[in-house]
Amino acid sequence: MALSVSDLKDKFRNPGAAELELIARYAMLPESGQRERAFEAFASTGLPHRRMEAWKWTDFKANLKSVEASSRGAQCAPLPAADQAVIEFSAGSVSLPTSLPNGVKLHERKDAQALGDAEEVPLGAMTAALAGRVGGLDTLIIEVTETATTPLHIVAKGDRDETNFTRVSVIVRPGAHLDLVESHVGGAGFSSFLIEIGMQDGGSFNRTVLQHGSADEAQAITAVVNLGDKSEYTQTALAFGAKVARLETRLTHQESGSHAELNGAYLCAKGFHADFTSHVRHGAPSSVTRQVTKGAVLDGGTGVFQGKFHVPRTIGQHTDADMQHQALLLEDGAEVFAKPELEIYADDVECAHGNTSGALDPNQLFYMRQRGIPEAQARALLTEAFIAEALETAHESVRDALTDAARSFLMESVR
Amino acid sequence: MDCCGGIEEHDDDCVEVKVKDSIDEGTVAAAKALESENYSAGFSTEIETEYAPKGLSPDIVKFISDKKGEPEWLLEWRMNAYERWLTMEEPDWAMVRYAKIDYQDIYYYAAPKAGAKYESIDDVPKEILETYEKLGIPLREAEVLLGVEGAAETAIEARTENDRPKVAVDAVFDSVSVATTFREELKKAGVIFMSISEAVHEHPELVKKYLGTVVPQSDNYFATLNSAVFSDGTFVYVPPGVRCPMELSTYFRMNAENTGQFERTLIVADKGSYVSYLEGCTAPMRDENQLHAAVVELVALEDAEIKYSTVQNWWPGDENGKGGIYNFVTKRGDCRGARSKISWTQVETGSAVTWKYPSCVLRGDDSVGEFYSIAVTNGRQMADTGTKMIHLGKRTRSRIISKGISAGKSDNTYRGLVSVNKKADQARNFTQCDSLLIGDRCGAHTVPYVENRRADAQLEHEATTTKLSDDQLFYVRQRGIGEEEAVALLVNGFVREVLQELPMEFAVEAQSLLKVSLEGSVG
Repeated sequence: MALSVSDLKDKFRNPGAAELELIARYAMLPESGQRERAFEAFASTGLPHRRMEAWKWTDFKANLKSVEASSRGAQCAPLPAADQAVIEFSAGSVSLPTSLPNGVKLHERKDAQALGDAEEVPLGAMTAALAGRVGGLDTLIIEVTETATTPLHIVAKGDRDETNFTRVSVIVRPGAHLDLVESHVGGAGFSSFLIEIGMQDGGSFNRTVLQHGSADEAQAITAVVNLGDKSEYTQTALAFGAKVARLETRLTHQESGSHAELNGAYLCAKGFHADFTSHVRHGAPSSVTRQVTKGAVLDGGTGVFQGKFHVPRTIGQHTDADMQHQALLLEDGAEVFAKPELEIYADDVECAHGNTSGALDPNQLFYMRQRGIPEAQARALLTEAFIAEALETAHESVRDALTDAARSFLMESVR
Repeated sequence: MDCCGGIEEHDDDCVEVKVKDSIDEGTVAAAKALESENYSAGFSTEIETEYAPKGLSPDIVKFISDKKGEPEWLLEWRMNAYERWLTMEEPDWAMVRYAKIDYQDIYYYAAPKAGAKYESIDDVPKEILETYEKLGIPLREAEVLLGVEGAAETAIEARTENDRPKVAVDAVFDSVSVATTFREELKKAGVIFMSISEAVHEHPELVKKYLGTVVPQSDNYFATLNSAVFSDGTFVYVPPGVRCPMELSTYFRMNAENTGQFERTLIVADKGSYVSYLEGCTAPMRDENQLHAAVVELVALEDAEIKYSTVQNWWPGDENGKGGIYNFVTKRGDCRGARSKISWTQVETGSAVTWKYPSCVLRGDDSVGEFYSIAVTNGRQMADTGTKMIHLGKRTRSRIISKGISAGKSDNTYRGLVSVNKKADQARNFTQCDSLLIGDRCGAHTVPYVENRRADAQLEHEATTTKLSDDQLFYVRQRGIGEEEAVALLVNGFVREVLQELPMEFAVEAQSLLKVSLEGSVG
C-alpha cells in the first residue's frame, strides 16, 4: 500500500523545505518496492549534512535550503564527441544517439532497479528513488559485449531547471571494453547522477568525467563499481565544483587480480566547492589500486578529498594500494580539507597514503619569472603542470579538451 | 555485545594467529611480552575501602564535593557539568566496540577507609605503600622528604645523587591522592606540586583561574562527566623563569572493584619555565570492565615548555576480551604564550578500549606542538588514539610521529587532526604514522584529518617510512648509514629516541619496546 506524504515525512528526522519537496516528488512516482527501499535508505539520513562523519566538509542540507530552478544554464560545453554517440539527459528526458559504438547496446528500463548498499550512498539512494518518471525511463542500462573502439558520451545538463536526477547502469561482459566520457555541465538547481558499473571477468573500462556546476547549484555524481576477476577500471575526473559538489566512488574488488586507477583533479574558484570522496574495498586477494588526486583552490574556494582503502581480513591479502592527495592553496582564503583513511585487517599487504597541502614552490616561481614570464602566468603554468599528472589517464580523445579546460580556467582566474 | 562504532567484528573461532615471515622476530617477542598473561600489575590490594553509593545523581556530585570540603564555586561548577552531561550523547564515531556502559552501576568515589589525607609517608597505610613498592614506584624516596638517609639539601644535589635524576611522585589510589613526595624541595624552587583537592584549598586563585580553560566543561561526553565527578589528580604550577629541578610524576592506581576513576590534572607553566611530567597507570585484573575518564589540562605561557609523558598500562582484559579498563581520556595542552612548547609522549600498552587524543592548541605565535606515540594492542584490545594540532598563531609548528602495532585479535587506530586557521601564517606540520600488523587476525587503521586554510602553510602527511625527502635520505645513506637508521635520524624525534628519554624506572614495558622494528609495515 502506498505511503501517504505524511507517513513519508515521519521517516525523516527534521525534514527541511528541500526534503519536503523531494518527498512530494517521490509521492507522484509509480509505486515500486525497489523505489521504496531506496527512498527509505535516503530517508534514514535525509540530505547529508556536516554532522555525519562522511559529510563533515560537504553539507548538502545547509547548501540546499529548497529545490529551486537554477538561474544560470549550462556552465560549459560538453567534452567533444567526434562520432555523435552521445546520450543526453536533461531534466526529465533522455535523448539517445542513432548510432552507438560497436558492441554497445542500450536497454531502457521503466521500472526501478535494486540498489545494493543504498545506506552507504545517501544521494545515490535518493537518485535511485527519484530518477524515474511516470510512463518514462527509470534506468538506462548500457551493455558492453565486445571491445568498443570508439567512446560513448553521456551529457547531463539542465536548462535552468529545478532538478536533473539520472540513473545509469553499465554491464561490461567478459573481456569487453568501453570508454565512457561524461560531461556534467550544470544548469539545474540540484542535479544528481548515479552510475553503477559491473565489470565481469577480464573486462576493462575507462571513465572520464568533467564536472562544472554554477555557484548557485548542488551537484552529486555517485559511482558504484564492482570489479570482476582480472578486470581493469580507470577513472579520471576534472571538477570545477559548484555551490556544493561531490564526486563519490564506491569501488569493490570482488574478484582477485583486479586493477583500479582512480585519478582526479579539482580547481575551485571563489564560491565553489568540490569534493572527491572514494571508498575502495579490497574484497579479493591480489587486487591493486592506484589513486592520485590533485587540487588547486583560490580565495573563497573549498576543496575536499576523502579517500578510504578498506582491506578485509583474509580475503584482502596481497592487496597493493597507494593513495596520494596533493593540494595547492593558491591564495589566502582558500580551504582544503583532506582525510586519507586506511582500514586494514590483513597483514600481508602494501597500503600507502600521502597527503600534502601548501603553496607553489617559490624557487620554481622565481626561476620562471627570471625568464620573463609574468607572475600570474607563471603561477597558472606551474599549477597546470601540478595537476597534469592526475589527468593523464583520461581517454585520449578528450584528454586535450580536459587540459584545455583546466588551462583556460587557470589563465583567467590565477593572479 | 552492543556495538559502538563501525568496526569489523572479529570472528570468535579459535583460529591460530599466523605471523608473516618478514616481521622482525624481536618485534613479535616484544609484543608478546605485553600480552595480558604477562601483566605484572594485575594484583589487587586488600584494604578497607569507603565508597559513595553506586550510581550518579546530584547527591553523588554533592557527596564528592563535600568529601573534599570544596568551596561553593566548585560545587556549582560540578553541578553545571552534571546538568550538561545529562543532555549529551555518548560518542560513537571511534573505531572501537564495547558493551554499553551502565553509568548507574559504577561507584564514583572510593577511598581507603583509613582516611584520605596523611601527614607524612609513615601514616600511609602499609598496604598502599606495599602496593606501590610492588609496582616499582619510588614512593619511598619520600624518605628524603622526611629528612632521613642523607636528605638532599638542594634541588641540584637531589638531581645528581646516585647519578640518576630524582622523581617526585604524586600517588593516586582510587579516588584520592595518598602521597606526594619531594614537596618541600620543590617548594624551595617555587614549584607547586600537590593533589588537586589540596590545591583547591591552598591555591584557589590559581585553580579557579585555569581549571576548565583548556578543556571546557561542555567539551565532550566523557570530559563533562569528569567535570561533574572528578575525584583527585595532580596540580602543578611552575613559576616564571623556573626550570623544575626534577621530573614530576603521578602514578594512578585503580584498586576497588566496580569503580570508575575520574582524575583531573592541571599543569601550568608560567612564563619561561620548564617542566617534565610523567604519568603511569595500572589496575588489578578483574572480570568486569572499569571506566577511566580523566581530563588533563596543560597551560604553557610565553616561552614555557611542558613535556608530558604517559606510560599507560591499565589492565587490558584477558585474551578473550574479558574485563579491562575503558580508557576514555581527554588530554589537551594550550600553548597560550608566544614561543611556548608542549610535547606529548605516550606509550600505550594497556586498557581494553582506548579513546584518547592528546592535543595541542597552538595559540601563541611561534609555538610548537609535538606528539610522539607508540601504541601496542594485543588480545582483544581496541585503541583509537592520536592527536589534534590546532594551529591558531603565526608561524606555529607541529610534528606528529605515531607508531601503531597490532597483534592478536586487536584493533589499533590512529586518528589525528591537523587544523590550520586562517590567521596561522606560515604554519607547518609534519605527520608520520606507521602501522604494523603482527598476525592475520588483527586490524590497523589510519584516519588523519587535515584542514588547511592558509596558502602559506606547509602540511605533509606520510604513512610509509620510505617517503621522506629522497635527497636527504640519499645524503645520509651515502655516508654509510642504513636506511632505517637514516629515517630515524631524519625524522628527528623518532619514537625510539623518545622512549629512551622516558624515566625508565616506570616503564619496564617501554624498554622492551625499544626492540621494536617497523619493518614490514603495511602503511
